Amino acid sequence: MLELLRISKIFGGVQALVDVDFNVKKGEIAGLIGANGAGKTTLFSVIPGFHAPTAGSVHFKGENVTGWKPYEICRKGLVRTFQVVRPFPRMTVLRNVAIGKLYGKVRLRDEKRAEREAYEILEFVGLVHKAHVAAAGLTMADRKRLELARSLATEPELLLLDEVLAGLTPAETVEAMNLVREINQRLGITIFMVEHVMKAVVGLCDRIMALHYGCKIAEGTPREIAGNPAVIEAYLGEELEI
Amino acid sequence: MVSRRGLVTGPFGIALLVLALLPRWTSDYHVSVVLDVLMWVAVTESWIILSGYTGYISLGHSAFFGLGAYIMAMTWPQLPFLLGIVLAGVLSSVFALTIGLVVFRVRGPYFVILTLGLTEFILHVVVNLEIKLGGTVGRILMSAPSLATLYYAMLATAAAAVVTAYVVKNSRFGAGLFSLKEDEKAASALGVNTTLQKWAAYGISAFFPGVVGAIMALRHSYIDPYNAFDPMVSFQVIVMAFLGGMEEVEGAVVGAVLLTLVSEALWASYPYYYMIILGVIMIVTVKFMPLGLVAPFKGRLLARAADGSGAGA
Amino acid sequence: MDLTRILQVLFSGLIIGGIYALIAVGLNMIYGTMRLLNIAHGEVIMLGAYVTFWLYTLYGISPLVSVVAVMGLSAALGALICRWIFFPVISTSKSVAVLESNSLLIFYGLSIIFTNISSLLWTTDARGYSYLTEVVHVLGVPLMKNRLWALGLSFFVCVFFYVLLQKTMLGKAIRALIQDKDASLLVGVNPDAIYYFSFSMSFALAGLAGCLLSMFYEMTPFMGMPYTITAFIVIVLGGLGNVLGSLLGGILLGLVETVGVSLTSPGWRPILSYALFILIIVLRPRGIFGKGVY
Repeated sequence: MLELLRISKIFGGVQALVDVDFNVKKGEIAGLIGANGAGKTTLFSVIPGFHAPTAGSVHFKGENVTGWKPYEICRKGLVRTFQVVRPFPRMTVLRNVAIGKLYGKVRLRDEKRAEREAYEILEFVGLVHKAHVAAAGLTMADRKRLELARSLATEPELLLLDEVLAGLTPAETVEAMNLVREINQRLGITIFMVEHVMKAVVGLCDRIMALHYGCKIAEGTPREIAGNPAVIEAYLGEELEI
Repeated sequence: MVSRRGLVTGPFGIALLVLALLPRWTSDYHVSVVLDVLMWVAVTESWIILSGYTGYISLGHSAFFGLGAYIMAMTWPQLPFLLGIVLAGVLSSVFALTIGLVVFRVRGPYFVILTLGLTEFILHVVVNLEIKLGGTVGRILMSAPSLATLYYAMLATAAAAVVTAYVVKNSRFGAGLFSLKEDEKAASALGVNTTLQKWAAYGISAFFPGVVGAIMALRHSYIDPYNAFDPMVSFQVIVMAFLGGMEEVEGAVVGAVLLTLVSEALWASYPYYYMIILGVIMIVTVKFMPLGLVAPFKGRLLARAADGSGAGA
Repeated sequence: MDLTRILQVLFSGLIIGGIYALIAVGLNMIYGTMRLLNIAHGEVIMLGAYVTFWLYTLYGISPLVSVVAVMGLSAALGALICRWIFFPVISTSKSVAVLESNSLLIFYGLSIIFTNISSLLWTTDARGYSYLTEVVHVLGVPLMKNRLWALGLSFFVCVFFYVLLQKTMLGKAIRALIQDKDASLLVGVNPDAIYYFSFSMSFALAGLAGCLLSMFYEMTPFMGMPYTITAFIVIVLGGLGNVLGSLLGGILLGLVETVGVSLTSPGWRPILSYALFILIIVLRPRGIFGKGVY
């Protein structure tokens, strides 16, 4: 569904990504791991069109979307969440999600219908009780739910999750993991996620890619990754418990 | 039961009726004053459609006013009045859309700077051109339509501006505008074509000032670049919008009426004091009432209407 | 065109360019550290010019002496405005976008207030004075002493500023704050102190520019806005937030304007600078010197 062909990205003299190749198959949950600065967020900026790659191409559903604008890629069915969540602060939770319905892949014309469908999504993520609260007043966990809900509203086929578990308590992490699983299994949405929380990566992902200083150093199932010497060396001193 | 729509269209309809009948009841002087208020309402309302709804502050909206005035000056009296003022509005929009192609390619701060210099730039181009073309910088418009005609034209324009602002705000287009105001990057991630939205809002917001400029050119029967492209016009519009509430349709009306009252009292005798007071109002409003006058009241009013009828808001 | 004429144009360009550089550096400091667009910058220049004028006309104090007082007063004004108007607004603004638009409007209000207060106090008639108009010849080009002083002073201050930014701890802190606010907070940079400094310095530089300009141009209460616009054009040329770029950009714009006007006519000055501005925005929005020239 998503093909990354030799993606390279240079930012002001620094090579953030070097010849990254990766495929995400339809229906799977793929993971992206790497130390801080390895290039994960850069890749997640390049894929949905926020930055054009210096070299290489991004293919989504068979089409070359390299250089497309973010809104165009969103309308094709590829949506990202932001590592530092970006709610529309003064709008209500409901309205936040409704924007996704009005402008995502579906682009509903009818505002009432958009709000109804947004409501359903809020039920799915568990934010219904806060539907009429301004987004600025939400807790961190709820903001993450909102970020997810909003992305879901655009009816994506592929969802890029950028460290969606960061900053959550252990209990919240478990809830979030379940939600991600639900999104993948019940809604049939393919997921590509960046994560630091190893337990989550291993527990959720079908396949994982590891980046180190912008290069792909390994790719495979969680088990293969855990046993991979290059990965272990890159993470030497860091926790890599399976 | 008082529906939300009813709360809006009721007073609006009544106001329109009263204003339409005004010339029959009062003297030319009063009609003149109200005409000025309507002018400010129209321009301020247009400004809000762009700067209030998207957050892109246009500091040079008087450029469109001036353009409209000049288009009228050049087509009068060859073109009939109505056609002339509509053309002024249309060309003004076209101009905005054209420069919009350039201007919206870049971030917010650049937009502000560009608009600031825009009026000055056009001013100098026009001055240079006028000198080349005719030797003098002023133009006279002879046999302008009657005050009543101009008044009704302005009333229609102001009404149209208010309606447009209302329709845009409550439409899907408006939702997109507000979303990009809140967070442009997030909005584009969700499929909002932010460049197109801003561009369209800019074009829409240039139409009414163009029309208004054309009407005012006839009103004064004389224009020159310095009063057509007067930066004080831009400033007063912004103060009015901000005072009333930059995101509220009613805000333009409230701001325009209040400020015209202040200016009636001060402008003739103490123009500098008037401007200083405007500046102070601006600063005070930003510090203490950044949402403007209307927004807090609206919240309470809507809540009370909902309670009164027993149904949810 | 003979050599003298060419040199004359170049000198004129450098003289005004140096002043543009001063104005732009000040403006860019506030933008760089606080992300605020000071549209009232030109009015501070205007006030500086008027204060210099009155000190000379009423008390006979040479502008080269009163420049110190003018800079001090301007700096004080800047600190006051920073403390009483901006710190409260910064703390109550709910988002960056809101802060930017609110501060824009406040500066706009200040600009109108300053313009009209000076119209009230000093009328709108143009004012000017003559000082150091004796001509000296530099490289065969006749130049008035006041312009030479302006050139010298503005370059001196620009170089001083460059050194300040590059070599001192304070300068490094400022650059750090411009580059990455959060990181600089982590390493112990005191933002409030830097903000006061930025405001004061910015206003002081504007006051200085006004003082220098008063020596050879007439002043009116409305003279400020064109300089504000020019300052913006320069900081776009040099890169928003790039203080050193403003130095170079100011000189560049001064030269472009002077050369362009000598080929066309004075009325074309704003048209030329605006055209340059649009060109840069379209072709290279990051400015000629882009990022990284700190």
